[in-house]
Formats: sequence, C-alpha cells, structure tokens
Amino acid sequence: MKFTIDWLNEYVDTDGFTPAQLAEHLTMLGLEVDAVTDIFQELAAIQTALVISVDRHPDADTLSLCQVAVGAETLQIVCGAPNVRPGLAVAIALPGTTLPDGMKIKKSKVRGIESFGMLCSERELGLSTGHSGIMELPADTPHGQSFIQALGLNDTLVEVDLTPNRPDCASVIGIAREVAGIIGRPLTLPVENAERQASTAAFSVDVESSELCPRYGARLITGVTIAPSPWWLRKRLLSIGLRPINNVVDITNLVMMEYGQPLHAFDFHTLADKKIVVRHPRENELDFTTLDGVVRKIDAEMLMICDGAHPVAVAGIMGGMNSEVSDTTTDILLESACFNSISIRKTARKLNLSSEASYRFERGVDPGGCLLAMERAVRLLCEVAGGTAAPGGIDKYYGQKPFNTLTLRIGRTSDLLGIPLDYEIIEKALTSIGFRCKEKDADTLWVGAPSFRVDIEREVDLVEEVARLIGYNTIPTTLPTVQLSYSAQDKSRTIRAEIGTLLTGIGYFEAINYSFSTEKHLQWLGLAENDPRCRFVRLVNPLSEEQSVMRTMLLPGLLENVERNINFQKNAIKLFETGKVFTPMGVNEQPLEKTRLAGVVSGNRSGESSPYHFKQQLVDFLDAKGAVEYLLQELRLLGLGTRAPLSFSLPDQDRMEPFTDPLQSLTISAGEQELGSVSRILPAVLRKFGIKQDVFFFDLDLDALCQLEAVAKNFSSLPVFPAVNRDIALLVPEHVAAGALVDAVLLAGESLIEQCEIFDVYQGDSVKSGYKSVALSVTYRSAQKTLTEKNVEKVHQKIITMLGSKFEGTLRTG
Amino acid sequence: MEQELLNLQNEARGNLNQLTEAGQLEEFRIRYLGRKGLFSTIMRELSAASPEERPRLGQLANSVRAEIEQLFDEKKTTLDNSSSRAQGANAIDLSLPGRYPERGRLHPVTQIMTEVCSIFEALGFSVAEGPDVEHDHYNFEALNIPAHHPARDMHDTFYVSESILLRTHTSPMQARIMESKQPPLRVIAPGKVYRCDSDITHTPMFHQVEGFLVDTKVSFADLKGILTVFTQKMFGEELALRFRPSFFPFTEPSAEVDIACVICGGKGCRVCKQTGWLEILGAGMIDPEVFKMVGYDPEIYSGFAFGLGIERIAMLKYGINDIRLYYENDLRFLSQF
Repeated sequence: MKFTIDWLNEYVDTDGFTPAQLAEHLTMLGLEVDAVTDIFQELAAIQTALVISVDRHPDADTLSLCQVAVGAETLQIVCGAPNVRPGLAVAIALPGTTLPDGMKIKKSKVRGIESFGMLCSERELGLSTGHSGIMELPADTPHGQSFIQALGLNDTLVEVDLTPNRPDCASVIGIAREVAGIIGRPLTLPVENAERQASTAAFSVDVESSELCPRYGARLITGVTIAPSPWWLRKRLLSIGLRPINNVVDITNLVMMEYGQPLHAFDFHTLADKKIVVRHPRENELDFTTLDGVVRKIDAEMLMICDGAHPVAVAGIMGGMNSEVSDTTTDILLESACFNSISIRKTARKLNLSSEASYRFERGVDPGGCLLAMERAVRLLCEVAGGTAAPGGIDKYYGQKPFNTLTLRIGRTSDLLGIPLDYEIIEKALTSIGFRCKEKDADTLWVGAPSFRVDIEREVDLVEEVARLIGYNTIPTTLPTVQLSYSAQDKSRTIRAEIGTLLTGIGYFEAINYSFSTEKHLQWLGLAENDPRCRFVRLVNPLSEEQSVMRTMLLPGLLENVERNINFQKNAIKLFETGKVFTPMGVNEQPLEKTRLAGVVSGNRSGESSPYHFKQQLVDFLDAKGAVEYLLQELRLLGLGTRAPLSFSLPDQDRMEPFTDPLQSLTISAGEQELGSVSRILPAVLRKFGIKQDVFFFDLDLDALCQLEAVAKNFSSLPVFPAVNRDIALLVPEHVAAGALVDAVLLAGESLIEQCEIFDVYQGDSVKSGYKSVALSVTYRSAQKTLTEKNVEKVHQKIITMLGSKFEGTLRTG
Repeated sequence: MEQELLNLQNEARGNLNQLTEAGQLEEFRIRYLGRKGLFSTIMRELSAASPEERPRLGQLANSVRAEIEQLFDEKKTTLDNSSSRAQGANAIDLSLPGRYPERGRLHPVTQIMTEVCSIFEALGFSVAEGPDVEHDHYNFEALNIPAHHPARDMHDTFYVSESILLRTHTSPMQARIMESKQPPLRVIAPGKVYRCDSDITHTPMFHQVEGFLVDTKVSFADLKGILTVFTQKMFGEELALRFRPSFFPFTEPSAEVDIACVICGGKGCRVCKQTGWLEILGAGMIDPEVFKMVGYDPEIYSGFAFGLGIERIAMLKYGINDIRLYYENDLRFLSQF
C-alpha cells in the first residue's frame, strides 16, 4: 500500500509530525513501513518559466524562437511545440539538467540559432504519455522557481507492507484512521454518509450468484465529457505511481485508493439491454478480452459481470474491452460491488492476472462501504467530468451481516497480555479507531467493531487490538513460571553433533546441500533404472530441472562441491554431510525420510596444514577408510577387540555399486545388515561431474547406526609387568590381505599376545614378484610376571610357524 | 703420587670450568670419573704406595674425587638450567610454523543452529525434529491457514502432490507435538524448510527454528521475556530490541521482533533499510483455533510460539552478504567460521 503524506493530510492533520515519526507510529501499530521516499526528485532541477515572446525561426517553419523569463534572466529558446505562446507558464530544463528518461540538456544551436535550454512536455517530464505539446502550467505560476515546489509535487511517499488481515488499510483513509487514533486528532472524510438510492428504471441488475456477490451497487451518470483529469487528480495518482488515463478512470482509481473500494465504470451504451447480470459464463463463453487487450480463457467457476448478452468484466479483477470507457463515452454505469474473496482469488490465480481491485477483494472488502465510495465517485464525476447523476440507482445487498458485537473480558485480556488493564484503558484504545464500547458488567465490555474491520470476529481479535493500540512495548517483560521437567534428548541429534566434532577434528568440513536434486545425477552414477534410489519424490512445481526431485543419495551433491572447489583451486578437499534422503511411498502419502552420513576426500592429504611439516601427498582409499574407522571407533561401534557391532568386509560382487572401483570398496555391516560403504569413485563417473582427480567416498546409514548399541566403557587394570616387542617380516603371496595376518595372530589363542600391528608392507626390487613383504610388530605381555626371552621366543616361534603354514609365508631375511 | 693427584685435581677443575654444553659432560665423566677414568687409575696405583703413606694418600684421593664429583654435579645442574644450546639441541628457527594437522569446521548454519538450540535447551526446552515433506494439513490447515487464505501468499510452496508438500516453515511441529502430548510443553523444532523462491536474498531451502511453550497462565509478557533472554544471549546483553504487531494466522496477538541494527548500531544503513532495526523473529500467542484443532481448551491453556531463520541470523552475526553462499560449500567460505 502506497500513499503520500500530502494525501494523508486530506483526512488527518499531521502537522508537527515528520514523515519518519509517522512511519514509526505506523510500524509500531503493525502497519510496517517499508520505505519513506521523497518523490519527483528526478525533476528537482526543472524550473518554471514564462514565455515572453514567440517569433518564427528564420530557417524552420515548425520551430519558434522564444524569449523566456526564468527569474531575473531572459533566455532565448528554440521550441517546436505548437502550443507555445506568449504569457504561457512553462517548465524549463536548463543546460546541465538530466530528464527522467536520461536525456541530458545542453546549450545547442538549432538550425543556426542558439537555444539555452528546453521547454518540456509532460512526456519528457515523465508525467504522462501525452505529447501534444509543452506542458502548460497554471497561469499564476511564478517563474524562476523549482518546478516541483511550484506545482506542489514536493511530497513524501510512504510504502506500507500490509499484512493479509488488514484489508481496511489498503486505503489512504484506512491508514489515516490509524494515524488519527494514535496521534489523537480527528479524521475527516470527504463523504461521511450515503443514502441508499431508490430503485431506478433506467437499467437493471440481476445477481445470479449472490453467494459470490454479497453486494452490487450501481449508479448511472449521464453527460460526462471524457478528458484528461485536472492537475490535482493526476498529481495524486502520479505520486503513488499510477498512470493517469482519463477523468472517469482516474476518479474510480482515486476513490479506490482513498476508500479501498474498487469501482468500475462501464460505457452505458455498450451494455446490451441496459442490464447487468452477475453470473458464471455460459458454456459457449470461453474467451474474454480484458482491458489490457489480452484474450483470456474463462471457465464456469469464474464470476463474470455480463450485460444482457455477453460478459463485460471479470468480476472484481478487470473490466472488458467491449465496455471500456472511451473518448466518446457520455453516459457511465458506475459499479461499486463486493465479491467473495476466495472466488476472486481462485480466478485471479487461474488467469494469472492481478490488479489493484483483485488485491483488495482477495483480502476482503467491507460490503458496508460500497455506497460511501460510490457516492464519493459520483460527486467527483459530476464536479470533474461534468456529469449528471441520474436519480435513483440499484443496490443489491445480500451479504448484510448483523451488527458485529463482541464481548471482551478485561481479566482475560490482562491475563493474556500480562499487564493489568481496566475499562478506561481498553475503551480509550478501541474507540480511537472507530470501535464502540459499552460496559456489560464489572469484567466485561460489549464491543462493536466497525464493518470495515472484516478481520475482527472473536474476543482474541480484540485482545490483539488492545495490545497493538496500547503498544507492545508498554507490556512488561516477565519469565513464565513453569513446572520443572527433564527435556528428552534425541539420540540422532546427539550422534550427529558427535560426528560433527569427530570429523571436523580430523580435517573434514561440513557441507549442506539442497535436498533437491536431478535424476541426471543418478544416471551419471550409472544406477540401474530399477535401483530403488531411482524412485523419486518429485516436485510438482520445481524451480528448475536441476532441483526437480528430492535426493535419494548424498553423493551427487558432494561431488558437485568437489568440482566447485577444484575449480576454485582448492586441491585438498575433505567434506562430509549429514542429511535426509527421501523414498516415495504412496501418492498423497509422506515419503520415508532417512538420515545418512556421507563424506568425500580428494586431492592433497594435509590440506591447509603447514607444507613445511606435512609433505604434499595425495589421499588414497585408506584416508576414507581411516575417517570411517576413526569415527566408528570413537562412537564405540567398531574395533575394541571383537566386542563392537560393526565390521568391514569385502562387498558382494553382485551387489557392487556401479560407480565404485570393485577393487577399492569395503562394506560396513552389523552382522548381515549393511550399514554403509567406503569406496573409490570410478574416474569415468567423476568425469561426468567435471572432476579429473581421484575421489574417495564413504556413506553410512545414520538411522541404523543410532539403533546400534555402543560398547560400554569398561575399565581394565593397568598392566604391572613390562611388555616385550617382537617384529616379524613375512613374505607372503601378494593376494594375501595383510589384515588377515593380524587377525590370525590375534585370534591364535595365545594369552601372552597383547597387540599386533602392521608396520610395513613392501613390494619391490628385493621381493620376488608375486609376493609382498608384510612386517608385523607383536606385543607380548603377561599379567603375572615379567616375561623372559625364553617365554617370548616360544610363543613367537609358534606364531611364525602358524603364519607360515596358513599363508604360504616365509620369514624374510636381510 | 701426591703431586699427580693435585695435578689431576687442577686439570679436572680447569676442564670442568671450560665446559659450556651438556653434551661435553659425558666425555668429562668418562675421562675423569669413569670406571677406567683417571681417578680410578690413580686409585689403583695407591696399592704401590708405602703402607705408612697409604692412609693419607687414600684420604686425599677420596676427597679430591669427592670434590670433582660435586663440581661435576653442580656443572650439570647449571647447564641443565640454561638454554637449549647448552643442552646440545640444534638451533631452531623460532619463526617456523608450529606443527599441527588442519581441522575442519562445521557449516555456519549448523554452528548458529547449535547456539540457538543450546540457549533454549538451557531454558528447559526440549528439541524435536519433524519431516521435511509434510501434509498440507500440518503445514497449513492445522495452523489456521485454510486453502485460499491470502496468508498462503506468504508461503511459496513446493508441492509433491495435492496434499503433500515441502514444509514452508517448522511450525507444523507445533501441531504435531500438541496433537500427541498434553501441556505443559516447552519445545523447539529446528530443521530445513522450503519455499519456491530464489534470488540474492532467498534460497529455495533454508533453516528455521520453531519454538513454543504451552501451559496455564502463559502471557504475552512471558513471550517477551523468553525472547528477550534469547536475543540478548545470541546478540549481546546490551542490545536494544522491540516488539511490533504483525500477523500470522496461527498466533494472535502476533509480533515481529526487531533488534537494533548490528551493522550500523541503529543509526540507519543499507542493511536495515535506514530504519535502524533488523527483523529477526516472528512470534505470537498461539491462536485459540490452533488449540481447538488439537483438542486443547483455549480457556484453560495459553501459550506462545516463535520462529526464526538461521541463515538470516548467521548473516547478521557473521556479516555474510549473499545467502547463496551457504549451499555452494566452497571451502573458502566454510573455513571462515
């Protein structure tokens, strides 16, 4: 909603308040002011001038050579306008001025004669599209003054961001009422009362769909002369950015802005049978051309205003070309009606057409105010457009509601707001904006809400009015008294927080990607069409194909992040994300939402760590595995001897992901249940995402993880006796997994073995081909005594023999 | 023999005096005090002395050795207490970087979300999360936003089907929780929300935290109290804030909470559109219609609800100027927080 301070002052005297103070008042009343701007500043450099003499240009018939007074100066101006004449007050742009359309005025020579500026037309000033000549200012306009001062254009525009519950404030009078209430000054209306007119025989109105049209009022005005509006009227519309059209249309627009009641003027002689019918379109009425020249598809649900034969307007939204007021119009049928807000809203949506009228009807127009606005418009049409109001009119009023009286409990209001209130305070607040109050009993008021407050239906609506009017900031600040209770913890949240701490601790950054994705990504991953992850929750109205389905995997988003970071020269990428993936269930059923944890690692291992200490090395599969191992061990779900529920295993060949390297993939599972994987992404897949370097990936089912029981922390006594370390370097065939050697050692059943770790795996010159050397470090310890060489040697030899026979291993020497 | 002892004493004293590094101590110890050192050698020669001389020489030898040992210990203590160079370490360039592995960071949205949740958890609120893909019923109907209500214009909604949509706010959790539990309730619901809108100030997905408190005798003043505590913990104790009327279909009275602009301190700037205030929260007393729909008697229970946008708070706290940066996961961005 836009209005200017000057316009506001027509209804309430705001003298003594700055625009900023008024804006503050409105904002604190719930009418949030978005912007306060001085208007017509683009015309600040334009001045007024008086044409003293006009002579023919010696070398051009159509040009005049004018002497123009601008204050103390007299300037020579060449002008091409036909209406320039001595004694005319005009607007002048002097050299150096830039016009609203960007044209820069310079001193120039026109056909050999010097011109010291330009006399401006309304179009050049951006005030209208008329181009019939230079703008003629009122005769008494002094010259040499600022144009905007002289024409009273120096005004301030205020834009209010209206909430949907306050349609009454989609009008300057509505705003003025709030201002008057808060600053305690009277509200003056141009028309206070409108009598219901006696019926007329000059035309008829038939409302077929009265449930969608609670009121339809109409008056006939004859003998109007269509012309441009007088300056004051055009100025009002221009000041809020509306384009003046002609006096009749301008009046309907002005009154709509003033009262918030949309009006429409039909050319009476275009109406077949001198009749208005409010109805749905007939089956054969499919197309309708609105005022803007667009042919619209109309349907049976839409409400149309028709004459005796055809639709002439889309009710409450826009008039039709066929009944538009034109330059030759003399008699006007003025409509002031009220339409069902839901019906208007649906129609506006379907037609993708909204107007100032539909904006108001969608939010709710007060049927009680139709006649007042109509009376105001009729008077203006008579005054401004020279019309005569035909006696009588029509007023079909179906939706008249009984006077809206509510009760308001003082105690309840005080309790809800947390501030002690009494009758006087509440009455003063409510009556300041047109409510009527009467004492019912010691704790209760009768409150009559004005009909334009269509949002007031319940006691709580009045409580809000009281709060708003006494000011939210006068209400004290207290803390609620509540019963103490334990607030339950969500395990998933706790684990997610822990994961965040753990993974950031080892260099991973958290990513958050959109929950939407595109099917294309899963095709790039090579997933089969029947893969469950290729069944999507689809958006009906996506913003783009890229964001058209809900994601079923976190990997594609992370790969996009990898690509972006490589493009921006970050070559050490460790990212993780915890987020939901979505699996469709039935139509009109919520999908299954599962939370997953995924991570990618690519490029340099040591990231931003000092290259002086951490040498540049590329990550490999074991970096990804390490992240998962570390994470799950810290969560006490992996490792810890054999007590933890999770373990790594080689994936089933027939269940291998199509986008992973079959030789660099591990599955993480709890018994039979697969919970995740670690893998190297295939280069062919990465290239589709624009990535040319290795990326390693891990993915875990977080919901399933939360279901697992972590190994409880359990103290074991500190060893008393020293440990003995022995190394073994074993040559084994290269297919033997080093980890299998460790497992074999640990599971050998030797009670003295405390620990076994791999410390080197080597293949190369000194190792025969087809073999590798695995070096193990075994820790022996007894809980009862200090071990002797002999004790250790005996077990150690047994282990070596066992490894040798089990893995075709031989001790490596030298 | 005696002279030999005294010479050795003098030599050892002199040598010890000249020692400047701990590394030289061992060499000294071996030369003089070791098992095969000079003192041991002399002691063995003692047996060659005449029996009458032996006790005196023996005594002398012992006292000389004791003295050198004492001097040696003193020297060792002195050197151990002086600089690293004296202790034999290589010179180190102190301007070289310290050694530590890089760590990652949580996404700024997560950081702010955690901070917001912690403040409310400290006030006794529990945390609940709900589905991103919601029923129209919970997102709108149960919150007093019927079909074709103009308030739906405030929510550009992504639809999945006629009755299923991506939640446009975290408020559906109000209805879901109230439906299944009885007051008193103190709950916050953080999560992702979606609106079909995308430009420099809007992303189609963002994060909100919804909160509500329901009990008997809860007032608007209590709402102001809780949100004042929250805002001051989040932005600073001295921060000015104001409550102004607004409209949400599921609260009445409704309010928006502004804080003094953190960029200009309230003087007026581009960020606060010259008003000196920044809107950070929407709130209000839960509308009786919402209570009725979950079967609470609005004559017995009252409560308040509030919602805030995490990205906006992060933008204000960290001075982030483009909301789209949040979802590009550019490490140059993520590593700043």
